[in-house]
Amino acid sequence: MNMYFIHTIASISHQDSFQVPNVFEQLEKLGDDSDIVSPNYKEYVPPTALRRLGPVLRMGLTASIECRNNVDADFDAISVGTALGCLKDTEKFLVTIHTTTSDFLSPTAFIQSTHNTIGGQISLGLKNHAYNMTHTQNNLSFEVALIDAMMCVNEGKQNVLVGAADEKIDFLAQAQPDLIPDTHPLTSGASFFVISPKKGKTSIGVRDVYTNFNATNSDKDIQNFLSKNDISTDDINVILSSSEQSFSDKQETLNYLDYSGMHYSAPAFALHLAHDYLLSKDKQLALIINDMCPGRLGLTLVQKQ
Amino acid sequence: MKIHVTGYGLISSIGTNAEESIESLRNLKTGIERGRSQATKAYNLGAIHLSNDELKKRFDLKTDGSRTALLGMVAAKQAFEGHELSDEIRTGLISGTSVGGMDISEVEYKKYLDQDGHNPENYKHHSSGTSSDQIANELGISDFVNTISTACSSAANALMMGARMINNGMLDRVVVGGTDSLTLFTISGFKSLMIFDEDWCRPFDDTRKGLNLGEGAGYIVIESEKSLEITKKQPLAVLSGYSNASDAFHQTASSPDGHGAKLSMTEALRVANIQPEEIDYINAHGTATPNNDLSESQAIQSIFNDRIPPFSSTKSYTGHTLAASGGIEAVFAILALQNGYLYPNLNFKTPISETGLVPQTTFEEGKKIRHVLSNSFGFGGNNSTIILSAT
Repeated sequence: MNMYFIHTIASISHQDSFQVPNVFEQLEKLGDDSDIVSPNYKEYVPPTALRRLGPVLRMGLTASIECRNNVDADFDAISVGTALGCLKDTEKFLVTIHTTTSDFLSPTAFIQSTHNTIGGQISLGLKNHAYNMTHTQNNLSFEVALIDAMMCVNEGKQNVLVGAADEKIDFLAQAQPDLIPDTHPLTSGASFFVISPKKGKTSIGVRDVYTNFNATNSDKDIQNFLSKNDISTDDINVILSSSEQSFSDKQETLNYLDYSGMHYSAPAFALHLAHDYLLSKDKQLALIINDMCPGRLGLTLVQKQ
Repeated sequence: MKIHVTGYGLISSIGTNAEESIESLRNLKTGIERGRSQATKAYNLGAIHLSNDELKKRFDLKTDGSRTALLGMVAAKQAFEGHELSDEIRTGLISGTSVGGMDISEVEYKKYLDQDGHNPENYKHHSSGTSSDQIANELGISDFVNTISTACSSAANALMMGARMINNGMLDRVVVGGTDSLTLFTISGFKSLMIFDEDWCRPFDDTRKGLNLGEGAGYIVIESEKSLEITKKQPLAVLSGYSNASDAFHQTASSPDGHGAKLSMTEALRVANIQPEEIDYINAHGTATPNNDLSESQAIQSIFNDRIPPFSSTKSYTGHTLAASGGIEAVFAILALQNGYLYPNLNFKTPISETGLVPQTTFEEGKKIRHVLSNSFGFGGNNSTIILSAT
């Protein structure tokens, strides 16, 4: 059994989740006036550069630099998930091309519109020449990025940055629910982790990840996933899902979207929650069930050794 | 573990399949020409002159989707033709794209701005991940789907991800490649960067001014040895080397010495366990921008020294098909291995003064080609190299 130990976490979310030892104990459900708790971005990104970066870029870059500050060595691989990418710059450039008649267009928004701008900015910001991948698979974007990061560990990498970031633009409300579900308030968020084959301070890590983009029987998928890992439903201490899933009264259950709000990188925040839950409650096993979108299932098993 | 190639498919402005593409390559027939619509007539483009409805009808596509998804279905179906789904073989699709469903979204968003019949339902095709879901559905693949979005290196990275998933024992067989359709968004974007050549692009020529955009899709099927035992497929080539590295120099420009390119080529050679002199042909990234071609040339010189194998950029035929380019060019590489082809670099006259490198300028066949190296470099300094080898 392989474990992919979590060495550090940095989340930017509606919770106090950046540079705090345990996010779990001070969780509050998103209210109507809830806002993202922003770190002091200027401590991470020069102000001139910061002005040009949309939310997903400043959040992803800042969380990654914070992760780098908390570990001893440079990342030897970087794997980023984002479902909808740099929406603000994408929209800005769309407005430009549909409203400008000039032959000269500012390229900044276009340059920053590609999904891998997040990973590219991280490599630039950290002067990191390592493997750098960007995965985009709707609500499963973080899980596929995590699968890649776990393969990097299998291949001998020691210090892998993995995370996900997505941003809200006001226009997104127009595209609901065809592009993103409308069960929770739309928002933005970024969560980044460093994973390693070696134990970190907490000995908590990811044990296995599963994705199914065409899930017709989630219950069966969950059972198969657990039995493949020699785990019964009763072994699970907490289920973090996007739909109040539960097996029995043996588990605590929570809906992570209540705390992250709706964005497709929320499952990365769920991993942050799962880690801190196992840490603060001294429990062994957490199961994250990402069922934000019908038919697209992600499962992540988190264990404390 | 050997990663066997057992299928390929492509569509671009020079052909809707391998046979048509080779005919164009052989006859020096480019797909790049003046745009035919009001919006595109100012540009030289490698467009595919089949509407979405024509694509669906001609290639018998059953799944709806953006043009990006439809082009992907055409090429992926070709690649997967003759393959059967089986419970014994875990089969996945890993597809690269940079624009996803932007071809639909940009039209819909214009309606929103003009308050003219805006229909939000059409954004269901927007996300890049959805375009891959649609391609997988068309093929019936359901074990794993992933989308790589690293701009112009997306397809090459999809090949790499697929090979690694096989090596890690997660999948047995994967359809890997990439797709991108022409959009006003990307045409305007590259225009804003001022890296278009208003004429026909001239890769590796001293007078090169920039790129021409194209559209298309290219996929290959890769299998593990265990999978081959079940499918009994004849291996066509081996995906022997792959690598991805960051240039970490600039968000869009390559470092002058091609640092990231050197890293990715060096590591791909190491993975393939071959020496530079064993490479028989390089299909260069060769976008024909002043920056890329100089940087890539210097990286090639530093890896291969004075023994530079025949190299060319086929983007003077297809245009730069962005996320699809690494997939299309992987198919060209496989055809080169099978038939001993060397592809000409059209429009070359004068070597770049700093490097003096002369690319392959004629179509040749029957050459002994054992290993082909193919580069794909993207925005964000995302540099990838794959090596395809004879079986």
